[in-house]
Amino acid sequence: MNKVLVQRKKWEPYVWLLPSTLLMTIFVVFPIFIVFKLAFSKISKAGVVTGFAGFDNFVAAVKDPAFGTVMLNTLIWVVAVVGLSTIIGFAVAMLLNSKFHGRKIARSIVVFPWATSLVIQASVWNYIIKYEYGNLNNLLLNLGIIKQAINWRSSYHIEFMWECGVGIFVTIPFVAFCVLAGLQSIDAAYYEAATVDGAGAWKKLRHVTIPLVMPSLTVSTVLNIIYVFNSFPIIYTITKGAPANKTDTIVTFLYMRAFYDQQKGPATALSVIGFLILCIVSGIYMSITMRSEENL
Amino acid sequence: MKKLTVAILIVALAMGSLFAQGAQETKAAAAEPITLDVIIAQYGPNTQNWFLGNGLNGSNFVKLFEAANPDVKLNLEVVSWNDLYTVVSTRISNNNAPDILNIDTFADYATEGLLLPVKDYCPDELYKDFFPSFIDQSVIDGTVWAVPDLASARTMYYNADMFKEVGIEVPATWAELEEACQAILDYYGGNVYPWGIDMTTDEGQAAFTYYTWNNEGGFVDKNNNWALNSAENVEAIKFAVDLYKKGYTNPSPATQTRYDLQDMFGAGKLAMVIAPNQLPTYLADKGYKINYGTAVIPANEGKAHGSTGIMDRIMAFKDDSYTDQAKRNAAIGKFLSFFYSKDVYTGWVSMEGFLPAVSSAVASLAASDPSFSAWLAVLDSCQFYPTAKAEWIDVKQGVIQVEQSALEGGDVKALLDALQAKVSK
Repeated sequence: MNKVLVQRKKWEPYVWLLPSTLLMTIFVVFPIFIVFKLAFSKISKAGVVTGFAGFDNFVAAVKDPAFGTVMLNTLIWVVAVVGLSTIIGFAVAMLLNSKFHGRKIARSIVVFPWATSLVIQASVWNYIIKYEYGNLNNLLLNLGIIKQAINWRSSYHIEFMWECGVGIFVTIPFVAFCVLAGLQSIDAAYYEAATVDGAGAWKKLRHVTIPLVMPSLTVSTVLNIIYVFNSFPIIYTITKGAPANKTDTIVTFLYMRAFYDQQKGPATALSVIGFLILCIVSGIYMSITMRSEENL
Repeated sequence: MKKLTVAILIVALAMGSLFAQGAQETKAAAAEPITLDVIIAQYGPNTQNWFLGNGLNGSNFVKLFEAANPDVKLNLEVVSWNDLYTVVSTRISNNNAPDILNIDTFADYATEGLLLPVKDYCPDELYKDFFPSFIDQSVIDGTVWAVPDLASARTMYYNADMFKEVGIEVPATWAELEEACQAILDYYGGNVYPWGIDMTTDEGQAAFTYYTWNNEGGFVDKNNNWALNSAENVEAIKFAVDLYKKGYTNPSPATQTRYDLQDMFGAGKLAMVIAPNQLPTYLADKGYKINYGTAVIPANEGKAHGSTGIMDRIMAFKDDSYTDQAKRNAAIGKFLSFFYSKDVYTGWVSMEGFLPAVSSAVASLAASDPSFSAWLAVLDSCQFYPTAKAEWIDVKQGVIQVEQSALEGGDVKALLDALQAKVSK
């Protein structure tokens, strides 16, 4: 009897893991394998695989004149959106954690941008900043704040800044709620002890709050790096990467390469490059933060 | 443990036999109706309703077709132009190409051996009904690979009230166009954009033709070889970009699509725009009330005017899994015969505001729309994109990149030289 129980205990975890392992294999591992295979295949414009390409697709992708601009844009996009939304989201979480009238309503409102579809968010912002005839100009003109309509998208640099702004706006709630969850789990005794020891607000923040919400912050940052790096709707809806790939990130760029230019080989190679970059960046970030948590 | 292994083996064997059975099956057993997968491009808000809802005499195309052809079933999908290339390409990659496809390009599918020649499925009577000049646009190596489903012609629309108010004539040359733009800019103090340009990934290739074809340039030379960096093209694109730099155009030609321009024109924010013949339908559908006129697209001094024609196509893909290919070809022929039958086709063309591709539709369309004959004359003089050339997709995207780079200060000649070198490889 004992032997049977031991056997059962040995197998049971695997049985419970089986459904999720199967799902992961079908929907994650298998597509990744296919993309890697395609990245080393010759693919015709119509989409037919015609043979083995070696590293040709990677060479074509990297040699593309727009590649440098796109990689730089991706870096700016990820650093700006993840960095600023983390800082602002942290501040919002601190605010929502403090006691004030209407806190529940405020918490509900903050979640709206995250709960709304990204395409809708991007489309709405597109209307708001639509050159000289967007809603922002109408509002400012009607309020008498400006006398002449302003072109809010007078260059691609400004358009890219708007796209980063929209990215930050929709990402803040996620950070805020991750941090808020961490803040609520902090025992009030820590702050009381810090007060007794004569710590001010800044020292409490630095030595109590930040270390204790660090696990939540790590999770939100890693997830945000992945989400923001792979984010497609904001840039595609507002500029489609125009003019001449100046506002493209790697994801919009590879989409346009695959489905507008019919260059599916280089597009899949770009996809693999993006995947590897994400793995490396997330891995480094997690190992650094985990090491620093262990040192606490 | 042994039991578990046996169970897994049984399941694996059962699944294996299922797959084996599936592989042996072939489509369309002789007695059963044949099912055709059809992908139709969404031309406007009415397309879906006409094919699948109740927009065709209270019924729809699929129902009426299947009632008239009980031996053929249609698995018809209407796909927006935004998703069309993605959907088709994904299906081809997965060995699941549609039987019938409605799209603009065909050269890649034809040169890769994916398409059926038109003579294999198109009934003779119908084939003779297509305008020969349209059919010629779908020929590669002497074989016709697709049939035209409709066409549109582009022309210049201007706000007649504005022109009257400012007191200017409608421009016919580039010099006159610049004068008119300056006059409109001066009169309205920047509240009206004089000239609309769309150099987006949607229609940048059309913008290329508006200027190069009106400077006797274009995509190809007289021998049908790529001539993208000709002196005429360089001059034409420089002229268009200069219009933007002088402040005569909409603020962002690289991101403002034709639909943005049409809305601006309808709202009285844009004085002139180049648009297709279905613009009046678009303005009426959106409730814009504007007094407009049409004119030829301005050309460079001393150069002939060139009109831009756009044509989409219907094509049939090969599918070797059918045992009875003749039956499949006949079914595709029935689809075409029904689609181009007089009542169905004229209803379709007039609903979307396009121009027909078959001569039998002309008389009834001319009777119902007084402006139709004039448009047909414009269409007659139109030039079309060289879509039969295998490099067309590269050229199409390439000229858009050139235009957008030029808008940002790039050297037009160097950009066109680079594109020509890339395409000529």
